[in-house]
Amino acid sequence: MTAPVMDPRVAPPFPEAALHILQNAELRKNVAHATDVIQAKRNHLVAEKTDWQELRTSASSIRAHVLANLTSFLEEFEAKCTAAGGVVHWAADGAEANVIILGILREESATEVIKIKTMTSAEIQLNPALEAAGIETTETDLAELILQLGNDEPSHIVVPALHVNRRQVREIFAQRMGLPELSDDPQALTSAARSYLRKKFLSVPTAICGANFLVAETGSVAIVESEGNGRMCLTLPRTLIALVGIEKVVPRFSDLEVFLQVLARSATGERMNPYTSLWSGVTPGDGPQRFHVVLLDNGRSEILARRVERQTLKCIRCAACLNTCPVYRQTGGHAYGSVYAGPIGAILTPQLQHMQHAQSLPYASSLCAACYEVCPVKINIPEVLIELRAQVVNQERAHMARWSDPMYVGMKAANFAFASAWRFRWAQRMGRIGLRLFTRKDGWIHRLPSLGARWTMSRDLRGLPEQTFREWWGARGRSGSREAK
Amino acid sequence: MTASSSRQAILDRIRTATRGDANRYETLPHNYIHRGSLDAGSRIRLMTERLREYGAEVVEASLANLPALIVHQLQSSGRRHFVVPPGLPKEWLGAGLDWKLDNNLSHDEIEHCGGVVTAASAGIADSGTIVLHHGADEGRRVITLLPDFHLCILRARQIVETLPEYFARLQQPPRLATYISGPSATADIEMTRIKGVHGPRFLSVTIVRDDG
Repeated sequence: MTAPVMDPRVAPPFPEAALHILQNAELRKNVAHATDVIQAKRNHLVAEKTDWQELRTSASSIRAHVLANLTSFLEEFEAKCTAAGGVVHWAADGAEANVIILGILREESATEVIKIKTMTSAEIQLNPALEAAGIETTETDLAELILQLGNDEPSHIVVPALHVNRRQVREIFAQRMGLPELSDDPQALTSAARSYLRKKFLSVPTAICGANFLVAETGSVAIVESEGNGRMCLTLPRTLIALVGIEKVVPRFSDLEVFLQVLARSATGERMNPYTSLWSGVTPGDGPQRFHVVLLDNGRSEILARRVERQTLKCIRCAACLNTCPVYRQTGGHAYGSVYAGPIGAILTPQLQHMQHAQSLPYASSLCAACYEVCPVKINIPEVLIELRAQVVNQERAHMARWSDPMYVGMKAANFAFASAWRFRWAQRMGRIGLRLFTRKDGWIHRLPSLGARWTMSRDLRGLPEQTFREWWGARGRSGSREAK
Repeated sequence: MTASSSRQAILDRIRTATRGDANRYETLPHNYIHRGSLDAGSRIRLMTERLREYGAEVVEASLANLPALIVHQLQSSGRRHFVVPPGLPKEWLGAGLDWKLDNNLSHDEIEHCGGVVTAASAGIADSGTIVLHHGADEGRRVITLLPDFHLCILRARQIVETLPEYFARLQQPPRLATYISGPSATADIEMTRIKGVHGPRFLSVTIVRDDG
C-alpha cells in the first residue's frame, strides 16, 4: 500500500483526494461502521447526563479563559513543573521541536524510543525526523502500530486506524510480525500486539508522549487512554519527553472534573476511559527520573491573535465532530491531507499552515453545524469555516488570474446586479426567460449546460416561478384584491 | 533560534495576541451537578453495577472477614505470586500465598508475579472509577501495571457518587494519580471492545462495608 499524503504543503486539494477515496467501497464501509458505532454510544451516554449542557458551558468558558490568559498559565505551569523536577523547553515551530527532542535523545544516547499516540508529533513529522537521525521509533497504541507496520497514515484523531478492517490488520500483522497462522479475530490480533510490544516496554529506556491536559496550578500532565500502553510508556522508561501544544493548559487541578466528564463521552462513548494518568515532574522511586516537556507553538499564537478563529484552540481533540460530519463520514480522514481531519481539521489545518496551504479544506463542509452541536467545548466551527472561506476568497481576489475564473466572474456579475433594484429586476426577468428553456413540465430543472452542470450533476433545481413576490405584491396593490392571482 | 529566545518570542506573541482580554477565573460558570443524591447503599450498588459493566469482578466484605476473603479471591484466581505495596495492612496477607513486598522490586520481578493487591484512595460510582494516589498502601505505579490481575480493596466510605465530589474531597492535589475504569481495553479493530491489551486483564474490586 502506498501511504496517503498527509503533509498539507503537498497534499492534493480536498475535492481531488476525496473523489479518489469515494471509489474505495471497502474503506467507506469501514469508516461508516466505525463512526456509526461511536456515535450511537456517544449519543446514549450524553443523553443520560442531565447536566450535559452545563458541563459544555463550563468546559467552553474554562478553555476560553485559558486562551485569554495564556501567558500567565504557561508561566505558572513552567514554574510548577520545573519545581517538581521537570525540564520545560519552548519550540517556536515543528523544526525547532524536532531539534530539541533529538538533542535530548542524543544526550541519552538513545537509539530507540517508544511512543504514545500523539497527534502533535504527527503534526510536526517527528517520526521521519527521528528515523533520519537513526533512531528507531515504535508506536505503542494498537491503531498507531497497525498504521506504522502497514506504512499507512492516521485517518481519525481518536481511532486512527478506523479505515482498516480486521482482515487488513491480520495481513499486516501476519507479514510484519512473522505470524502466518494468525487469525483475524480481534482478540487474537490484540494478543499479538500485546506480546510484540511487551519486550519493547520492558527494554526501551526512552519514551515520547503528548498530553491531553497540562495543569497550571500543579504542573501536572494528564494522559487519557484505554489500552495501558500509555501507562507503560509513562512508568517503565528512564526518560520521558512530552510534546504538547501551548494551548493544552487548564488553570486548576479541579478543572479536570469538567474535562474528564466530557472527553471520554465525546471521544469513545464511555463514561470514563479505562486509564487516566496524572503526574507532576519527577517522583523519586516511581517512574522516569528524567522528564522533559516541549511546549510547541507552531502557528498557534497567530491563531490566538484572531478574534473569530481563536476558538479553534479550545479543542480537546475528542473527534466527536468527525464522527457526526456528513462529509467526513463519506470520505474518512485521508482526503483532508492532514493529521487533523474532519471539521476541526478543516479549520485547524489551514491556520497551522498560515493560510498558505490547505485552502480547499474550509470548503469541505456543508455548513450543517452538526459539529458545533456535538462539540463539548462549543467551538462554532461553521463560523470559523465561513471566516476562513472569506480569507481564501480575499487571497484569490489579489490574483490577476481571477478574471479567467468563471466563479469570480459570476460573483462579480451577481454583485453588479444585486447592487441596484432596477438591475436586480431585470436580471430576474432574464433568468426566468433563460431558465425556461431548461425547465421541464414538472417544474424542475434536471440538467443545466456548462458550469451549471456541476450543480445538476447530483441534484435537481426548482424552476423559477412565473411571478416574483414583488410582482405579486405590486399587482395586488393596484387591483385592491387580497387574493393572489 | 536559541531555546531561551524562542521562549521569549512565543510569550511575547501570546501577550500581544491577548492584550486586554484577561478575565477572572472566579466569574466562570460552574452550574453542572456537583453533589450526587444517592444514599450510601445506592451509591455502592451504582459503583458495583458500573464496575461490572466494564467487566470487573466486584464482591463485598466486612472488615472482619476481609483477610479470609482476600486469600479466597486470590486462590480462585489461579495465581500464586502476588506483589503488595509496603504499606498494605499486614493482617490482609493471609497464609498459603507467596507475597512479594515491593521494596523496589525490579520490573522483571514484578512482571513474574501473577497479581497485585492494593488499597485505593477513592471510588467514583457514577463512572465506576477506582482512584489510586500511589500512597504507601497503593504502591508504585508499576506494580498495578505489569501483573495480569489486580485485586483492589476499596472502603465503602471512600466511594463518592460524582467526579466533582472526588475533587471537592481532595485536601491537596496528588503528585501522582491513576484513575482506573475497568480493565485495560481497546476498540481499535472494527470498534470491537477487547479486554486486556497492556494493563492488567483482570480487575477485581472488594468493597469493604463501613460497619466492619
